[in-house]
This record gives sequence, structure tokens and C-alpha cells, in this order.
Amino acid sequence: MTTLPALAAAAREARAAWSTRSTLAVAAFALAGFVPLLTGDARTAELADGLYLACAAVGLAFTVGIAGLPSLAQGAFVAVGAVVGARLLELGAPTAVAALAGAAAGAAAGAIVGGGFARLPRAGFAAATWIFAWLVSLALQSLTWLLGGAEGTVVTAGPTPAGHYELALGLTAAAALAYLALARSTFGLRLAAARDREAAANELGVPVHRLRTVAVAASGAAAGVAGALAVALAGVADPTRYGPYLSFKLFVVVLIGGAAAPLGAAAGVVVLGVLSVAADAVGRLEHVAAARSHALLAAVMLLGVVSLGWEGLVRPARRPRRTTAGPGPAPGAPGRLAARSLAKRYGELVAADGVSLEIVPGTLTALVGPNGSGKTTLLRMLAGRIRPDAGSIVREGGVARTLQATAVFPTLTPLEHLLAASASRRRRGGLFRALLATPQARAEDAAFAAWARGVLVRFGVDPDTPAGELPVSDQRVLMLAAAYATGAAVLLVDEPAAGSSAAERRRLAGLLRGLADEGLALLVVEHDLALVRSVADRIVALDAGRVVT
Amino acid sequence: MAVALQILASGFAAGAVYGLVAVGHSVVFRLTGVVHFAFGELIALGVFVTLFVAAGSGPVSQTSVGGLRFVGALVVGLLVTAAAGAGSYFLAIEPYRRRGSVIGWVGASLAVAFAVRTLLVVFFDRPAYVFPDPLPFGVWRIGDVTIQERSLFVAGAALALAAAAAALLSRTRTGRALEAIAQDFDAAVLVGLPVARLVGGAFAAAGAWAGLAAILAAPSAAFDVDAAARYGLYGLAAAVVVWFDPRRALAAGLALGLIQATVTSAHAGGTQLGPAYRDAVPLALALAVLAWRARATQELVE
Repeated sequence: MTTLPALAAAAREARAAWSTRSTLAVAAFALAGFVPLLTGDARTAELADGLYLACAAVGLAFTVGIAGLPSLAQGAFVAVGAVVGARLLELGAPTAVAALAGAAAGAAAGAIVGGGFARLPRAGFAAATWIFAWLVSLALQSLTWLLGGAEGTVVTAGPTPAGHYELALGLTAAAALAYLALARSTFGLRLAAARDREAAANELGVPVHRLRTVAVAASGAAAGVAGALAVALAGVADPTRYGPYLSFKLFVVVLIGGAAAPLGAAAGVVVLGVLSVAADAVGRLEHVAAARSHALLAAVMLLGVVSLGWEGLVRPARRPRRTTAGPGPAPGAPGRLAARSLAKRYGELVAADGVSLEIVPGTLTALVGPNGSGKTTLLRMLAGRIRPDAGSIVREGGVARTLQATAVFPTLTPLEHLLAASASRRRRGGLFRALLATPQARAEDAAFAAWARGVLVRFGVDPDTPAGELPVSDQRVLMLAAAYATGAAVLLVDEPAAGSSAAERRRLAGLLRGLADEGLALLVVEHDLALVRSVADRIVALDAGRVVT
Repeated sequence: MAVALQILASGFAAGAVYGLVAVGHSVVFRLTGVVHFAFGELIALGVFVTLFVAAGSGPVSQTSVGGLRFVGALVVGLLVTAAAGAGSYFLAIEPYRRRGSVIGWVGASLAVAFAVRTLLVVFFDRPAYVFPDPLPFGVWRIGDVTIQERSLFVAGAALALAAAAAALLSRTRTGRALEAIAQDFDAAVLVGLPVARLVGGAFAAAGAWAGLAAILAAPSAAFDVDAAARYGLYGLAAAVVVWFDPRRALAAGLALGLIQATVTSAHAGGTQLGPAYRDAVPLALALAVLAWRARATQELVE
């Protein structure tokens, strides 16, 4: 009988997080559910088609909003779902089977695209997904064995238009709820960290590429189910419907509505619908041939909306996180880092020449040396970011590194920084648990949040101000706290005190000393010799890639 | 043998145009850090504006256009594409660029592409147009093989333009300033470079480049907006495969053209690939190469 208390707890939480916005969203969906009573079948079918578009658009917001990747392949994922759905429906499969198969096919296509291109810089990801959208569109039109070429594939009718309408509405709501759950989960927080600053996220051990691939695959699943069901609704799969314009439209809808809010994309679909109706009205006024004026006006209005640096209709709401005492992360085991005879050359420049170094638990080792002596190169090798030309490194217990420049994730709060950093220490932090918000996952969320608040008190950083608005000295300390939160046994800290005042240096020195005393192994690169002498157990000096003391 | 030669010749003709567009894409990306999704549509704009000035919106044939008027039309076409290039930057891309919003400029440049496309489709609603040839080229015949002299000219022009762009980048102050902007937009603003003027100028040059590509490429076949969009797409595919390296973009474009020509007339065993695969195979190959190259960028991210 643990179900009942768990349900009660969930209800209390939902109530605590409830806002006017939630009321409005629920009311809008409830009212929208009655629309088929007022409209004829043809109009209902049209609206259902628009809602399937909205479902695909909300799905695209996983990739665009949470992961920050400009994906132009969503229309192609819709097409993949449509092909698989149409083939199955043609064979007489039930609509539900076709829908699930469409989702699976869309997810698979998303995984391929994400896996292949999510490592590229964002501009390259946009280009690659755009080429993919064209590839799918051109293939559908020229390869008749895919979807029957110009005639398309005719399938038998499934549910009524009203049935489709309610199904599409439900799917759109489900996609928006999934967005909400994902954005708040450690999955979403880590993606947001990588979106804000990929290099710093890498150093905290965020598996950026894998998470991005999953995000694109999730977008693909939403697109695929929408594609398959839209075929069932229309009774025909028409290859010309899946041109690159569809991908563009979905992307623009997300942009107009706001990628950072769960229902932004759905609002964008409504805006697009209104633009289209307005274009029709103006076209009638001007007595121009309808199709011509419609397309032109819609294009011009769209350009008008998109230009001028539009930031999206719906802005994200920041909601408080529940904290309850509970088992936080298990303390990490002590570990060490031992490097032997590391060598690295960049052309003529010798960055490391036979460097051996051991960093042991409970000690703070300072690495000093003039600019260009190879300190940062050494750190990058120790962190596994670049490969040495020769030599070996033994790592025990995980390594986290802070970057030279202040590299916070400006849109995340310090609390979210720590939750993202400590995600790998979760026992119940998986994607499906997060999506379903299981009681155990929520309890762990609350326990980790309580623990993270405690850590931030110790580091003296306000937990709830977006990190981009914190003073620079707090930003440095925050990244140290985030590195600590990963649970890594070895911390590599690059110039934590550069450009800070005497008081800030004392604060940093105290924090660093405290971490070493706790049993961590620290390697700190620092120019300030006074600071170094006051805290370091050992000083290693580097010059021209060689250890000189 | 004759078949192989013919594949080579027709692949070279298409590939030269792809290469020319790829060089344009690469230079724009190097200079601005922005992928110009409207490049193909600007090509179409160049062609149709030139046609319109030369002959109105009526039917055009090789004989119906006078010499001097046509030269004037070409100049107008170049000016309009240059203006459209700069205009699209200031209107749509710059507001997002200033905020560092990649999502924003991607959407804005695509919106420009579709606005131009829709405009052209509405005003030039015939299925395909024949573009009069400003420089009448012949064909060579070697046995059964015909080679368009034009394709050699297009490839030569692409080479010359790539060389000129490389020289501009490395030798002139403007070029170095532009590369600085592309590498670090915010820092360039901070050190007082006239960023908006320089990048706007680069976009105008890109527009003119598209216009030039249009004039060089359009006469080789019947022309419509889709054909231009496809040039833009293949140019982008070639450019992104060599990661926007202007020196290798032409070669990548030529390779895509050759693959396309090979696929179009390929018989592999009993199965024929044929024209139905002429887009799918080259684009899929380009994406596969890009994905393979992307694996190596892991070390570079920092």
C-alpha cells in the first residue's frame, strides 16, 4: 500500500508547482477538446492535421529548446514516420500499431541524424540536417518504391476526423508534458549546460554527444507518430507533402512560439494558422488569385515576424524545486592521478617534455610556471581532453576540471549547475523515470536538491540567481562547486583566482584547502605565489614543458 | 570508353556549378560564421531579375533579346542580388547574430530563402525558363562524346573567384578584419571593428556571387526556382563536407557532380541505379562523409 501515499505526495507537489499558467494551459486544452462538436467533419480533419503538426513542433522543441540545436530535419522525421505508417496501414495494420511503428522509425532516424551530426558546431548541424531534409524529400519523390511516387500510397480510413482530433490533441498535450519533465530533469539540465557552454559541460563529465543524440531521437519519435497518424487521417500518403518546406515550417513555428517553453511550439502553430487566415482575407480583399496571394503574404508576414530579432511568444517559467532531506549522492571513493613521462609537441613548440606527476588524496598540488610553459596543455592531457604524444596516465576515481575563463552556464541557476554536475551519481536518474516522474525519481530529485543547497551554502553562492547574473568571483567559486558535485576524486582547477581581489583570494584559498582536507586530490594552476604558498602541500614548477622542481 | 568520357564531361559540367556555389558558401561562412541558406534562392533571383529587365515577363528565347539591353540586364541582376544579400543580412540575420542566437539566424536566413522563392514563383509562374546565353559557347565533339565548353569556363571562373577571395582574405585589411569577426564576433565589436558594415558588405558580395553563378550556370539548361535551390543545396553539401574550406570546395563540388553523373548512368550487376537515384545517392554520400569527419571534431571542441 505504498501507492496511496505516493499518489498523495505527487498531488501535493503538483499543487505546489501549480501556477496561473498551468490553469490557462489546462483550460485551453479542455476547451479545445469540445471543438469537434461545433465544426463539420472537413474542418475537424483540417484542425486535426494542424494538431499533428503541433505535436511534431512540440517534439522539435526538445532539440531546439532544451538542447539548443538548430535541427532542420524534423519534417524528414515526419516523412519517415509517414512512410512506415503508410506501409503498415496498407497491409491492414491497426492505427495504433502504425502510430507506434511510426514513432519508432522517427526515433531511429533521429538517432542516426543526432549520432552523426550532433558533434558538429551548431551551424554545421543546421546545414547537415537541412541536407538530410532535402535528401528525404527528393528520395520520396523520385524513388517510387518508397511511397508510390506521384500517386502516393492510399490507405484505408481509421478513426473518424473527431477521433483523430482528440488523439492529436492528447498527443500534443503529452508532448508538452514530456517537454516539461525533460527540461526539469537532470537530462534536460545537462543538455542546457552543454547548450550554454559545451566545453565546460565536457569537463564536468556531461556525455554531451550521447544526450544530444537522445534529444534528437526523442524529437524524431514525436515527429514519427505525428507523420504516421496524419497519413491515417488523410487516407493517403502524398510524397510531395514532405518537402524541405515542412522542416522549415516546423522550425519557424518553434522559433515564433518560443523554444524555451513547453507550449511555445503549439502557440507558434496557432500563430501560423492565424497568419494563413489573414493572408486569405487580404487576398480576397485584393481580388488576387487565392493561392498566389496566400503563399506570398504568408511568406512576407513570416519574414516580418522572424526578422527584427523575435524572441518567441511564450517565455519559460522558472518553478521552485522541492527539497527534502534524504540520501543524497554517495560519497566518492578517494582516487589519484599519476602521469609518467608525458610529452606533447605542437609543431616546433614543445608543450610537455617528459612530465611526471602524481596527485594523491588529501593533498593540494600547485602547478606554477610562466605563461606558455605548458600548464594548460598538461591539464588538458590529465583530463583526457587531448592525447599525449608519449607517456602514460593512470586515473582512479574520476577527474573533473574547471576552465581558465569563468565558464558558468548563464541561463542555469547555481542549484541547477550542481544538479547537472551530480547527475552521474544518481541511482534513479534515467530518462524514462524522469519522463514518468516516478515516486523514487522524485524523492531522489528532492534529496539531491537539498544536498546541493547545502553545498552552495558551504561555497557561499546564492542558489537561485541565474549564474550569468552572479558576480564574477561567485561564478568562479560556482564552477569549483560544480566540479566538486561531480563526485570526482581528482579536481583540476585552472587559475581560479585570476583577476580577483585579496578578499576573494582568501575565500578561494579557504575553499580549496577545505576540499583537500576532505580527502580530494587537487591540482591547482595558479600565478599568485602568495596564494599558492598559503594553501599548497606541494608546488610543481613547469618551464618550457619540463618540471623544474 | 565513350560512355565513361561522357559521364566525366556531364559530371564536370554540373560539378563546376556546384563547386562555384560551394566556394561562395565557404567564403560567406569563413567571413561571417553564418551558413547562407538563401544562396540558391539568390541565384534564382539573379536569373529572374536579369530575364525580367531583358525581356519583361514574357517568353524568352535566344533571339528575342538584344545585346546591349541584355548586358544592362546582367548588371541590374548583379546589383539586385547584391542588395538582396546585404538587405537579408541587416533585416533578418543581424538582429539574432548580435545576440549570439544560432537558432535565430538559421530560422531567419531560411525565412529569407522562402520569401524570395515565393516571390519568384508568384511573379514568374511559367514552369521553366530558358536563359539567353551572354557568351555563346559551343560544344566539342570527340567521337560520340560531347563536352560543353561552358563547363570549362564555369570551372575556370570558380577557380579564379576562389583565388581572388583567398587573396582578399589574407592580403587586405578588410579581409583580415572579416576573418577576425568570423572567429570571434563579440571581440571584434569590442575592438571597434565596423562589424555591421563589413559583414553587410560580405553579404552583398555573396549576393553578387550568387548572381554571377546564376549568369554562368543558368544558360546550360531550362531554369526554374527549384533548379536554383538545388544548386544552392549541392553547393552547401560540397562546402560542408570540406568544412567550408574555399580551396577545397571546388574539388568537392566537382566530385559531387561526377558522382551524380555516374549514378545517373550506372549499371551495377543486374540492377540499374539510374536517374531516380541522382539526388539521393550523392547527398547521402556527402552526409556519410560529413558524419565520418564529425567523429574527429571531438578533440577540437574547447
